[in-house]
Amino acid sequence: MIEKTDQPLSKETTNRLNSVGIIKHFVYRYGLLAVLVGMIVYFSIAQPFFGTFINSMFILQAASVVAVVGLGCTVSMTVGGFDLSVGAAMSLSIMAAAGAMVIGNFGGFSAILIGMLAGVAVGLLNSFLIVYARIPDLVATLSSLFLINGLTLMGVGGQSVAKGMTFNGERTTGEFAPIFKWLGSGSVISIPASVVVAGSVFILVHVLLNYTRWGRAFYAVGGNPIAAAAAGIRVARYRIIAYLISGGLASVAGLMLAARSNRGDVNVGDPFLLQAVSAALVGYAVLGANKPNAFGTLVGAIFVAVLINGLTMFNFPYYAQSFVQGCLLVVALLMSYTLAQSRG
Amino acid sequence: MRSTDNEENLGVQAAPSVLGVSSLVSFDRITKNFGATEALRGVSFSVAAGETVGLLGANGAGKSTLIKILAGIHQPTSGRIVVTGKERVFFHPDDARNAGIATVHQNIDDGVVFGMTVAENLMLDEIAKPGGTVFLGNRAIMRRAHVVQQRLELDLPLTAVVEDLPPSRRQEVAIARELAKNPKLLILDEPTSTLSEREAEKLFDAIADFKRRGIAILYISHRLSEIERLCDRAVVLRDGKIVSEHTAPMDTKAIASSILGELVLATENKTRKGYETVATFSGLTALPESSPISFNVRRGEVLGLTGLIGAGKTELLEQICGHRTATVGDMQLAGADYAPKDIAAAMAAGVVLVPEQRALQSIFPDENLWKHCSISLLSQFSNNGFMRRRREIAFAADVIQNFRVVCSGPDDRIGELSGGNQQKLLVGRWLSRDWKLLVLDEPFRGIDIGARSLISRSLREYSEKVPVLLCSSDPEEVIEVADRIIIMLEGEIVHEDISSNLNAEKLAAIMGRSSSLAKPQKGELLGYD
Ligand SMILES: Nc1ncnc2c1ncn2[C@@H]1O[C@H](COP(=O)(O)OP(=O)(O)OP(=O)(O)O)[C@@H](O)[C@H]1O
Ligand SMILES: [Mg+2]
Repeated sequence: MIEKTDQPLSKETTNRLNSVGIIKHFVYRYGLLAVLVGMIVYFSIAQPFFGTFINSMFILQAASVVAVVGLGCTVSMTVGGFDLSVGAAMSLSIMAAAGAMVIGNFGGFSAILIGMLAGVAVGLLNSFLIVYARIPDLVATLSSLFLINGLTLMGVGGQSVAKGMTFNGERTTGEFAPIFKWLGSGSVISIPASVVVAGSVFILVHVLLNYTRWGRAFYAVGGNPIAAAAAGIRVARYRIIAYLISGGLASVAGLMLAARSNRGDVNVGDPFLLQAVSAALVGYAVLGANKPNAFGTLVGAIFVAVLINGLTMFNFPYYAQSFVQGCLLVVALLMSYTLAQSRG
Repeated sequence: MRSTDNEENLGVQAAPSVLGVSSLVSFDRITKNFGATEALRGVSFSVAAGETVGLLGANGAGKSTLIKILAGIHQPTSGRIVVTGKERVFFHPDDARNAGIATVHQNIDDGVVFGMTVAENLMLDEIAKPGGTVFLGNRAIMRRAHVVQQRLELDLPLTAVVEDLPPSRRQEVAIARELAKNPKLLILDEPTSTLSEREAEKLFDAIADFKRRGIAILYISHRLSEIERLCDRAVVLRDGKIVSEHTAPMDTKAIASSILGELVLATENKTRKGYETVATFSGLTALPESSPISFNVRRGEVLGLTGLIGAGKTELLEQICGHRTATVGDMQLAGADYAPKDIAAAMAAGVVLVPEQRALQSIFPDENLWKHCSISLLSQFSNNGFMRRRREIAFAADVIQNFRVVCSGPDDRIGELSGGNQQKLLVGRWLSRDWKLLVLDEPFRGIDIGARSLISRSLREYSEKVPVLLCSSDPEEVIEVADRIIIMLEGEIVHEDISSNLNAEKLAAIMGRSSSLAKPQKGELLGYD
C-alpha cells in the first residue's frame, strides 16, 4: 500500500490555514450574493418604498428580459461558444411577431409561434456557420448579427410596426393580440406575467444544465471538445442544440419586450446583447461557479436591476448607469478569475 | 517499510552535503502545501556541477512539485534553495532561468506555444525579453533559429507549426529552447513518457552529450532501467520526503522497494491461450501506402500491439474505435458486421478506446474527479435524462479506491492530481462495465511501477470477460501485460508470437528492424526462436 499521510498536521498550521482559507473561500463563493443582500438591506432602510412588494416586482420585471436572453447566452457559453446575435434575434422575432399580427392579421398564438421560429432560425444559421462551415463562434455570430439586423430592417422597410401603420402604401388593420396584453401587463396571483415567464425559463435552463445528462454533455463539450468526442459525446449535435436554445430564448425575450410596448421598433433588441452577456459573466462569480451557470446569470440580471432601481431612487443620474454596471462587471470578474487563481 | 527513524537519519545525513560549497543546487528543508495537501515535507538534497541525478518516486510523491519550485513556478511554503553557495528565491520562471536552471516539464505542451512555428518557438525568449529587439521580422527569426539549430546540432523543421509535429519533436523543441540558454542544470521531468524506444535512444545520446559539456542533469522517470543507465546518483521521494539515496551501480530492486515503501515481488504472468474469437479485423490499412493487415482478438487474452512511433498503431486503433473511418477492409465484432461511423457509434457497439494523449483527449481541466468518471457513461448514470449524482460520486470513490488514486476525494479537481494519478483514474473508470472490446493506447505513460502492475493485473482480470487490445511502444510493458504480441513496422505486421516466447531485447530488435531489410517470410512470422 502507498501510505497517504503518516503525520497529522500540527494544530497550529491547521488553524492558520483554515482562517485565511475560510475567508477567501467565503468571499469567493458568497461575496457577490452578500453584496446583493447588503445592497437590498441598505436601500430598503434608506428608502422605505424600495422594499415594498410593488417595487420588488418592478425590479424583477426589469430583470426578466435580460435574464431570459442571458440564460440563452449561458447555454451557448457552456459549449464554449459565444452568441453575439441574440440582440438581432430578439429584434427579428419582435418584428416577425408584430408584423404577423399587425400586417398579417394573425392571432396571438400564431404570432408567438412565428416569433419563436424566427429566433430558432437565427440559431440554425449560427450552427450552420459554426458547426458545418467551421467559422469561429465570435465571427460567425457577429456576421449573423449584421445579416439578421439588415434582414429585419429590409423586411419592414425600416419602419416600426404598430397598430395603424401603413405598409406598402396601405393602412394596416391588425393589432396586438390579447395574449400579448397579458404578457405585457397581466399577472398571475399578482406576480407580473413576464416575471412568471422568466422564472419558468430559469427553472428549465437550470435543471437542464445541472441535473440532466444533456447539461453534463454541454459542459463537457465546452471544457474540452476533443475529450468530449473521445468520451462518445456527439459534439456537433450539442453545439447545434446550444445555439438553437440561445436563439429560441432570445425570441422569447423579444416577445416579452414587444408585449411591454405593444409595438415593434427596429433594433430594440440591440442593447440587450451586452446586458445579457454581462449578466452571464457576473454569474461566473456567483457561488464560486467560475463557469457559465443559470443561477449566476439570474443573479447577474437581478443585481443590475436592483442597482439601477435603487440608484434611481436616490436620483442618481441615468447617464452614470453604464459606469456603475461596468464597476459591477469588473468586481465580478475579479472574483471569478483573479481570486480563483490565488486560492489554495 | 514503515520505519520513520530510518528516514529521519537520512535527513540528518543529507544536511551537511546540502551546505557543501561544491554543490551546484541544493534544496534545504523545502516544504510545500497546496491547501491542506502537504506535497513536500522537508526535502533536502543537492546536485553537484556536472552530475546526473535521478529523482524517483511513486505518483504523487512530489517530484514535479519539487522541480516546479526549482523552476520558479511554485514558491515553497518554507525552506531555502541555494544555488552555487547563494540563497536564491525564484518568484518567476525567468528568475530560475537566469540562475542557469532550465526545465523541461512533464506536460511537454507547456514548453511550446501552439500556433507558432518551430523557429518562433526557439526564439520565444528573445521575443518575450523585456527591452529586446523591437523589430524582429520573420527573416531575422529564421536566421537566428538556424544559428541555434546549428549550435545544438539539431535538424528541426523550422517552418512547421508546432502542433503539426508529433509529441517527440515537440519535446525536442522544448529541450532545444532550454539548451539555447546555456544552462548549468537541466531538469527533465519524465522526458521519455511520450517517446518511443528509438526516440528515447536519441534523447539518451543527447543527454550523454550534455554530460560531456558539463551540464548537470536532474532526471525524473518511472523507468528504473533509464535511471540505472543514465544517473550517477538517485534519490527517492515518498510522500513528500526523501527516503533513500542510491549511487551507481544502482540496485534497482532496492530502489523499487524504496519507491513503493513495500517489498516488490516480481510478477510472472502466465501466458493464456484465450477463449473464443470476439473481434476479427481483415484487410485494414494502417498507413496510406502500406499493404492490408489482418488479425483477431480473443476473449481471455490481452493482445499487445507494439512497434515504434510511426509504425501505424494509433492509426489502426483509431479505425477500430470509430475515431476515423476505415476506408478499406472488414471488421467483425461478436459475429456481426462492425463499421462504426463515429466514436459514439463504436461505443454503442461496445468498443472503447482509452486514448494516448491524456491532456488533450481525456481531460476536462476545470472539472472534478467524479465528473470525469461518469462522463463517458452518461446514459448509465442517468434516469430519463436526469443524472444520478449520488451514484456518480460513489462510482468515482470506487475507482479511486480500486486504483489507489492519491487524492483527497471525488470532489478534487483533476488538475490537482499528479500526472500518474490522473492516468490511473482515467484508465480505471472504463473497467466498470462489460464492453465488447477494450482498446488502450499507451496506457502506462507516466505511471509508477506500483500502479503499472496494479493496472496490468486489473486488465488481465478484466480480459477474462472482455478482450483487451493494448498498444504500447515500450517492450517491457507489453511483455508484462500481454499474452500475445503483434509487432508492427511501417504499417505492416512483421511478427506475431505469444509473450512467453519473447523478451524485451528480442522485441526491441524486431521493432527496430529497418525497412531496407527483406520482408519476413511466412515461416519467420510464426516461428521466431
Ligand atoms: N496545483 C495543485 N493543487 C493542489 N494539489 C496539488 C497541485 N499540484 C500537485 N498537487 C498535489 O501534490 C502532490 C504531489 O504532486 P506531484 O505532481 O509533485 O507528483 P509527482 O511525484 O510528480 O507524480 P507523477 O509521477 O504522477 O507525475 C499530489 O498529491 C498532488 O495531488
Ligand atoms: Mg510529475
